[in-house]
Amino acid sequence: MIPAQFDYARANTLDEALNLLAQNEDAKILAGGHSLIPAMKLRLTQPSLLVDIARIKDLSYIREEGGQIRIGAMTTHYQIESSEQLQKICPLLPECAAHIGDMQVRNKGTIGGSLAHSDPAADWPAAILALNAELVVVSKNGERTIKADGFFVDLLTTALEPGEILREIRINKNGTRQAYAKMPHPASGFAVVGVAANLTMNGANECQSASIGITGVSSKAYRASAVESALNGASLNDDTIQGAAAHATEGEDVNGDLFASADYRRHLAEVYTRRAIAAAMKSVPSA
Amino acid sequence: MIPLAVAGGTDSTMKIEGTYQIHAARERVFNALIDPAVLQRCIPGCESLEKTGEDEYAATMKAGVGPVKGTFKGNVHLQDLCPPGHYKLLVSGKGGPGFVKGTAIFDLEQVDASTMIRYSGEMQVGGIIAGVGQRMIEAAAKMMAGKFFGALESELSGEPIISCASRTP
Repeated sequence: MIPAQFDYARANTLDEALNLLAQNEDAKILAGGHSLIPAMKLRLTQPSLLVDIARIKDLSYIREEGGQIRIGAMTTHYQIESSEQLQKICPLLPECAAHIGDMQVRNKGTIGGSLAHSDPAADWPAAILALNAELVVVSKNGERTIKADGFFVDLLTTALEPGEILREIRINKNGTRQAYAKMPHPASGFAVVGVAANLTMNGANECQSASIGITGVSSKAYRASAVESALNGASLNDDTIQGAAAHATEGEDVNGDLFASADYRRHLAEVYTRRAIAAAMKSVPSA
Repeated sequence: MIPLAVAGGTDSTMKIEGTYQIHAARERVFNALIDPAVLQRCIPGCESLEKTGEDEYAATMKAGVGPVKGTFKGNVHLQDLCPPGHYKLLVSGKGGPGFVKGTAIFDLEQVDASTMIRYSGEMQVGGIIAGVGQRMIEAAAKMMAGKFFGALESELSGEPIISCASRTP
């Protein structure tokens, strides 16, 4: 199918984009388009206007500023995947990026677009949660910062209000051990389960604190707080990791679908949580 | 609220069941659940609910999750009415993104000053949403059930209620 009829406008500045959004209730921002256009082709979503922000200057960057890593919302998955700078200072980001879709998707898809879309099986939300990121959002009323914890609200629903555009992702730099473990759907590549682990370690085996972000399991990505509590202050070995991972879906509404029943997903979540923690432990700490 | 549980069935039928506790007396809850004016305000995206026969209504819904939206036209049929504790609901709806057909049995129990609503049934989903969105159907169904019962709760607690049709998605 082809999309329903729509108008197209290319914004040259963020202000232009914000005005176009304000003037058109059914407008959608077009970033990389690899979640939006397929949905439009199926007519699952029918925006009356696409506001293309691809040519706005300075929305795509990877910087270090004030002890933080700052990534522009239009930075592509590939740019993150191939960044030697990020490999050193935040390896979870390139590792997670490498798991997204395929090469063509990674060349066009953007981290901002993916986060704003908030597919329940997307990879970025798990990493962003595990990294305790902050999301900088602009609107005609100015700017605000949303903590990752409060950004993913429900199925395909974020804390973004109508008329707001995600501009930047900020992550505090601290030497942590990070890893992403994912079971991809064999056809779509989406996460049946994806677990991002971010550990602050004392020496080789003692976990001071842990952040675990899980995607693919529920209607939105979430922090596995029960797993984190079991890891905080614990000495990590096979037994303690297994024990902590057993809490992976505690308190969560686990999804079932034709590929994986809720029970199977619960089991997968435990397995991949265990794998993510073990991989993080062995990884080179971020600089 | 105890979340909706869904198990895979044969064909394209999903089993749905769940419970919801509302702080209101059973008679009030039952009457609200079968009142078309209340239903129109509580069903997510329901723009109109018009009587077409004895306990039968035609509905128009603008339903959606995030950017995925569609207009559905359908029917709602209330059966086996045994006030204030039991009834059966049949729904069918068709729109651009696909079609939905379902039946659910509602049982209401008074628990102190609250009512425990138990629902159990089956749902068939077809069309595009079933073809490409199958992995999200369960989550979407839970979200809508949550919105419906939340709106019902607001309705019964006397809070001013913004109808689901005009809420920003």
